[in-house]
Amino acid sequence: MRMKLAALVAGLGLFSVGVPVLAHHAVGAEYDASKTVKLTGTVTKIEWTNPHARIYFDVAQADGTKVNWNVELAARSALVRQGWTARTLSVGDSVTVEGILARSGVNMVNARAVLLPGGQKVFSGENQ
Amino acid sequence: MRKFFVAFLMTAALLPLLAQPASMQYDTSQTPIAAVRRAGPPKGPVPRLPNGMVDLMDATWTGGGPVNDLEGQGGLKKGELDALLLPWAKALMAMRDETQEPHNACLPMGVPRVTPFPYRFVQNYTHKGPTHMFILHEGNIHSYRQIFMDGRKHPADLDPTWYGHSIGRWEKDTLVIDTVGYNDKFWFDRRGHPHSEQLHTVERWTRLNLGEMENKVTIDDPGAYSKPFTVTFMATTTPGDELLEYICQENNQYGIQTIPGYKGPTFGGSTSK
Repeated sequence: MRMKLAALVAGLGLFSVGVPVLAHHAVGAEYDASKTVKLTGTVTKIEWTNPHARIYFDVAQADGTKVNWNVELAARSALVRQGWTARTLSVGDSVTVEGILARSGVNMVNARAVLLPGGQKVFSGENQ
Repeated sequence: MRKFFVAFLMTAALLPLLAQPASMQYDTSQTPIAAVRRAGPPKGPVPRLPNGMVDLMDATWTGGGPVNDLEGQGGLKKGELDALLLPWAKALMAMRDETQEPHNACLPMGVPRVTPFPYRFVQNYTHKGPTHMFILHEGNIHSYRQIFMDGRKHPADLDPTWYGHSIGRWEKDTLVIDTVGYNDKFWFDRRGHPHSEQLHTVERWTRLNLGEMENKVTIDDPGAYSKPFTVTFMATTTPGDELLEYICQENNQYGIQTIPGYKGPTFGGSTSK
């Protein structure tokens, strides 16, 4: 899995620099571009769906509890056209998510990048 | 020799089909289709069918209509279209904001709007010749447009629908699609340009070369605009792309939790709270 993923990341590296492409809807009404966030945690669920793929991940808090975040990615079909698959990430993987926060203040983020511990980007690009 | 050559050609044409897996997946050792699209449309002459007609069916298309702004994307000057809005339509548009648009709720985009996803023209042939052209859209949501190519007229009594009643004809190399019978539900764009059930569109699709096709659309809606206007868009092809599954209601969480006080429509809902 890791070898395959590494090859995929290497192969896509040239193409996955964030190029904004129209999404199902305008992101600005739901997420605040001025509120950026960077969170690290463990993937608990992957939804390989339209109109957006999503990952859910647990972020450890200072008091030892965990908070589960809902991460909005590009459309599944857009990610497939980038070369990603449902098997690119697995439940239990450690990831860092960079993105912007939901306007309502719930634990939801629109991802600009999903990074593996080594810094490789997955599910990147086409989120806007 | 000639027979052998024909057989060879047919086999060569069928081979890619045989090699195609039942459910289409991209080979990740290949260049991702998104990168192919970013490289720009292919260059070359307009492809033609054996009878000399322009071939619109050899590839998928993206673009060719508005998403964000009918006025600006359609090539009109700022304020030019808005000046044509009748008072009630202007007032309605002023009340609209993008969180309310039907498209967010997985409803169809109407005409001439497009989605970020591709579509494909498919000509239906029978023993009577070409009868229908279908435009199959991946986007909102697996929609198809049905265009009657058999010379019939619009019926007198029309049932208002999202895509209306379309009749098509070829004028030299241009596919002309004439549509009436729309409902007034879809928005032309995210800005909320409205229309009425009196909407009448005439699309003129002209393939310019291998990779590009112009869509010149005359919009006549005396119910919402003071005179007809024409907007022009460019569609492009992406070699190797195919329609993918796009079930928008599958996991549409638009606005439910993210927008404070969200009161817009929700469809498909959320698989996770």
